[in-house]
Amino acid sequence: MDATERMMLSFTLNGRPVEVDVEPSDLLLDVLRNRLGLKGTKRSCDVEVCGACTVLMNGLPVSSCTTLAADADGQTVLTIEGVAQGGELDRVQRAFVEHAGMQCGFCTPGMVLATTALLNVNPKPDNAEIRHFLRGNICRCTGYIKILEAVKSLV
Amino acid sequence: MSEASHRAQPPRRDFFEKVTGSAEFISDVVVPGMLQGRILRSTIPHGRIRNVDVSAALALPGVEAVLTGEDIAGLNNHWGLFLNDRPVIAIDRVRYVGEPVAVVVAVDERTAEDALDLIDVDYETLPFVTDAVEAMAEDAPVLHEKSETLKDFYFKGEAKPVPGTNIFQKYEYAHGDVERAFADAGRVFEDTFSFPMIFHYAMEPHCVVASFADGGLTLWSCGQAPTAIQKVLSRVFDLPLAKIRIITPYVGGGFGGKASVKIDPLVAAAAWKVGRPVRICLSISESMLTCRRLSASITVRTGVRADGTILGKAVRVVMNGGAYADTGPAVAIKAANRAIGPYHVPNLKLEAYAVYTNTVPGAAFRSIGGPQAVWASESQMDIIAGALGIDPVELRYRNMLKPGETVRPDLRPIDVDMAEALGQASQAMSRLDAAGPDAGLMKGVAVGASDPGIMAVAAVLVRLKIDGSVLVISNSVEIGQGIREVLRTFAAELLNQPAEAVYVMTPDTALAPFDWGTGASRSSVMMGMAIEDAAIDIRRQLADMAAAAFGVAAETVSLCPGGIVAGDRQWPFAELLHAHYGIDSGEVIGIGRISPHSRDGRLMQAPLFWETAAGMCGVELDEETGEVRVRRYVSVADVGRVLNRASAEGQDEGAAIQGLGHALSEELVYEDGQPVNASMIDYHVPTIDEVPEDFLTVLIESGTGPGPGGARGMGEGAILPVAPAIANALASRHGIRIRDLPLTPERVWRALQEKKAKP
Repeated sequence: MDATERMMLSFTLNGRPVEVDVEPSDLLLDVLRNRLGLKGTKRSCDVEVCGACTVLMNGLPVSSCTTLAADADGQTVLTIEGVAQGGELDRVQRAFVEHAGMQCGFCTPGMVLATTALLNVNPKPDNAEIRHFLRGNICRCTGYIKILEAVKSLV
Repeated sequence: MSEASHRAQPPRRDFFEKVTGSAEFISDVVVPGMLQGRILRSTIPHGRIRNVDVSAALALPGVEAVLTGEDIAGLNNHWGLFLNDRPVIAIDRVRYVGEPVAVVVAVDERTAEDALDLIDVDYETLPFVTDAVEAMAEDAPVLHEKSETLKDFYFKGEAKPVPGTNIFQKYEYAHGDVERAFADAGRVFEDTFSFPMIFHYAMEPHCVVASFADGGLTLWSCGQAPTAIQKVLSRVFDLPLAKIRIITPYVGGGFGGKASVKIDPLVAAAAWKVGRPVRICLSISESMLTCRRLSASITVRTGVRADGTILGKAVRVVMNGGAYADTGPAVAIKAANRAIGPYHVPNLKLEAYAVYTNTVPGAAFRSIGGPQAVWASESQMDIIAGALGIDPVELRYRNMLKPGETVRPDLRPIDVDMAEALGQASQAMSRLDAAGPDAGLMKGVAVGASDPGIMAVAAVLVRLKIDGSVLVISNSVEIGQGIREVLRTFAAELLNQPAEAVYVMTPDTALAPFDWGTGASRSSVMMGMAIEDAAIDIRRQLADMAAAAFGVAAETVSLCPGGIVAGDRQWPFAELLHAHYGIDSGEVIGIGRISPHSRDGRLMQAPLFWETAAGMCGVELDEETGEVRVRRYVSVADVGRVLNRASAEGQDEGAAIQGLGHALSEELVYEDGQPVNASMIDYHVPTIDEVPEDFLTVLIESGTGPGPGGARGMGEGAILPVAPAIANALASRHGIRIRDLPLTPERVWRALQEKKAKP
């Protein structure tokens, strides 16, 4: 690739400013995982169906597998690595741990971030709202029962 | 029922890594110097490869090598578990759309992907067949001209292919005289059911990193059976087993799709060709072209007396095994066995075929053959009940086996009380109905009994360190089921040490002893028994040390947290080991080995235990659209002993919701030899909004399993009853009997229209 095609991005990642040069076609998922070493964001379906690659951009969930890295320029991005503070799990993470809302754990980063976003926009969701908001995050292991219990415990 | 299981348990240790994103999964593994591989796949269902032109791909900057069938002429280039039928990479022929034809190895994935477009493959197309019944016809194209069976290779026994046909497994069994029973029976019911191909959709796609160095091969693999991979690679590359090392980090789900051996030989061949470590991480769409559940056509003939008593049953199973046999021969046998049900069947005839077709290879999937079989047999139970005017639950009770009675005289007698499970399901549903009355729900029921195909071959190392910390080293793969926490719980309990002191290592065949593999609900029981033996070994060694060092009678020595106790005296491990070794360092290594001869030979009879389930659903149907919603579901299983309540329930719930997907939406569809919905846009798995609002999991702790404290395997039973329970619910209210899965809105709607047209 021609070096002139690269572009420099600046954005806030997990509370800290980062700069990274990317190709215009680079996906946010690849830049996070391969350039910035944040492997907690997972690749699964590639088509914005499963939610495993969910990160929060300005507090709202996006699928990083179908988001251009360039779109993060100037934005605030939160990945799973930025959720726990000072080695302490945050309340959403604690709820997932305490209610066993995971098994293989591959969907868990996306599930935690989607739940975080839900509670940001709607601190007291009812059951139907929880089920509607999280339908973009697939879990193939748990059958969702324990995930629902975890999320309900936060309401 | 153990008291320990009712104590509040701290959360699983792996949860902390998983919830923070720090858990290293196989797709996160980075090996220094590794290149990335991408796979060019066949676009045609069946054909000869005339030529593969890789010159343009090789010329692309960043491409290091391209592997094709020509490269592997010098290797033992076919492999398999039952039949040696599968080339490491297509050599001169392709047998399904998606079969690997070339691997580009490049500096990064994007370059490798770009290079795929530059490869030109010249095919000569051959006639193809994608349907199993058609593949059994005399004029069907034959996929494999010869068959080489591998006896006792990894599974006990061997497949029975029919030479010159596509049948790669033919299985027959009989007891009693079924035709005579049918002649004696008041009624004989014959029904045929179909079950589709289903994709596992483990959320992490298949991923392997392979590296040849120091005359050996190291693989970081997603495989559920590291020692099977080791064995196959040893044959392919003619390397000693001792020089092949398989490391298995966290795996993002498997459900059987990563059982036995999958992409490991292919990735290893790419690394062998290029002489550097190679990583290949499939996309999910590629995983869909790697393996899937065997579809099936199942005909059940059941002869009953007017009171519903089963006199005889004949089951004929035809399974679509895809282009390569994989573990299909075992799946076919299990499908036949699992169609019997937990019922007294005095006259029984089983016949099962697994057949090659030009489709994605069939493979193990949670309760192999079970959902297919139970879909047929439990749907038919309700057909019989309806025809005889007997309540479906009552019909099941009338035929139910009591504990100790046999499903087949050659199998271990059933070791659970299925009547109790069914009763508990009814009670649980009554509790849900009492909590939220809803007269509109249709109710359906089904039960399942499966015979896990467990090889009693396992071993573990337990290393007790001088500071009291304990390291458990095994090849049991953590794939979500919580095996590491189970092993930690067992080691803590059996060594009488705090769970916080016990650590479980990432499986590594260079360190961990041989184990058959992770699957068939075996690891908790098998590795649990191995830890029992390792703990005895450790206690014996400590006792001998204490006898020599402190003059106590060895038989009076037992373990206490952090040390040993003999009579009223107590020593920390550090004091004992210091006295024994002369330095303030060291450890005691306990070995636990399980073989079919262990436990006085009691593990020899199959199955090691029965895995069963009862399911009951409350269903709603939109008659305008045909859409089915399951509002209530009750799942009951005897698991012997609950080792970790939240995880055990979660295993059961996960199985049931996978069963919901099987029932309502999942199907890999073929048209003109092409899989037409092999992406997650077109293939729908259950989402959180489809989960029944009321869901109850009941785990019965009978304590009758062979594992420590009466534990038995679990996690596969709950998938069995879901689909037939739902279909039975629809039949009970609307009189529609759907014999093909999934129960899509269109299929249900059409059935309703047909019913209205000719009621």
